[in-house]
Amino acid sequence: MKSEPFVYHSPSSVEEVVSLMNEHDHAELVAGNQSLAIQMNNRLATPDHLIDLNGVDELAYVDERDGEIEIGAMTTHKTIANSDAIDRTVPILAEAAQQIAGPSVRNVGTLGGGIGEADPAGNYPTVLTALDATITITSESGDRDVGVDEFFIAYMMTEVGENEMITGATVPTDPFPIGRTGMSFLELKRVPHTWPKLSAAGIVRVDDPTRDDPTVEEARLTFANASDTPLRVEAAESAVEGTSLTDDALEEAAEIAMDSADPADEMQAEAEYKEEQVGIFTKRALREAYDRALDQ
Amino acid sequence: MIDNTSDRPTQEITLTVNGNEITEEVEPRHKLSDFLRYRADETDVRVGCEHGACGACTVEVDGKNVKSCMLFAVQADGSEVLTSKALNDDDELGPIQEAFHENHALQCGFCTSGFIMATKELLEENPDPDREEIVEGLSDNICRCTGYVNIIKAVEDAADRIDTVSQATGDD
Repeated sequence: MKSEPFVYHSPSSVEEVVSLMNEHDHAELVAGNQSLAIQMNNRLATPDHLIDLNGVDELAYVDERDGEIEIGAMTTHKTIANSDAIDRTVPILAEAAQQIAGPSVRNVGTLGGGIGEADPAGNYPTVLTALDATITITSESGDRDVGVDEFFIAYMMTEVGENEMITGATVPTDPFPIGRTGMSFLELKRVPHTWPKLSAAGIVRVDDPTRDDPTVEEARLTFANASDTPLRVEAAESAVEGTSLTDDALEEAAEIAMDSADPADEMQAEAEYKEEQVGIFTKRALREAYDRALDQ
Repeated sequence: MIDNTSDRPTQEITLTVNGNEITEEVEPRHKLSDFLRYRADETDVRVGCEHGACGACTVEVDGKNVKSCMLFAVQADGSEVLTSKALNDDDELGPIQEAFHENHALQCGFCTSGFIMATKELLEENPDPDREEIVEGLSDNICRCTGYVNIIKAVEDAADRIDTVSQATGDD
């Protein structure tokens, strides 16, 4: 099927995008066009104006600074998956990007698109929630930074308002010292090009990887598709903190995570099945993160 | 089909397709896949699902693969586009196409041009992929006939053929 007619705009700066959004009603921004095109082809989205961000070069960047790393909204999955700076500081983001669909989607799909779509099964919202990132939203009145915990409001709904755009995401790196931090992103899906039924992001920082049974100083645990929005289970994190990730601690974390999950039924994955998997993926993600923290 | 007989607004775009520069008026809602098939007459570009699931319409735009049903033609204005036809070796089959032919890596052939483009990008980035890397590299493409076994063999064979060619010509 073809989309409804629209007027196409191809700005080359954020300033131009902002003024186009203010000028035109019923406008949509298009980034990598790997989801919006489907919605437009099926006439689920019928914008009168399409504002293409692919000519806005200033939004494609990875900027590593002291204590944080900032990634531009138009940075592609492929760039994120292959970035040395991301792999060194927050490797879970590269691992998650590499698992999105296949190569031709990763060539063009973007960070900003994935954040803006806010699909509960999406990789970036869940990983950025684990990393406690900040999303930058830009409009005529300038930039505003919104923490991930406030950004994702409900099923496919975000803090981004009328005439606003996502311009980047910033991740604080101080909580994840290289050498004693491990991260793991795991997906449950039958074939690569579909959305995962469930995903888990686990991060573990230990006190000293060289001693016997290092202690978990800090843990992060989030899930995709276990709820309408990215689910962070802080009580499960607490259950493993201060332990050497014993089986008992993992078991407790898994029970807590399963209780916190509120997944929806979908074809090929009933809610009950997903809940059970939340427990299994809690253990796998935290175990892998812990092993990676020790193995460096 | 795409036509401009309606009064809907159009926009002039110029694309270089397999080396030929083509300027046409298109509606913004027309896909690159429409442009390639109906304006550039590159009917080796196949449209299967028209929503990014099957990969049959995969082409190279400015050096990287995209699903051409997921890109509006106006977005490709000024770009260089290659379809599977560009992999011909003069009028003969090129090494990737030859490998698909020799390994019976198709039955109906509808998906083949997409698989050939996926193979091209995979082997350019990784000239000697293992089986797992081949499966990952082809994961945007669906074949409903073969069960993929012969397609994977064809990619392994294509890697060997390209390796032989580059050794003979002294390329890397």
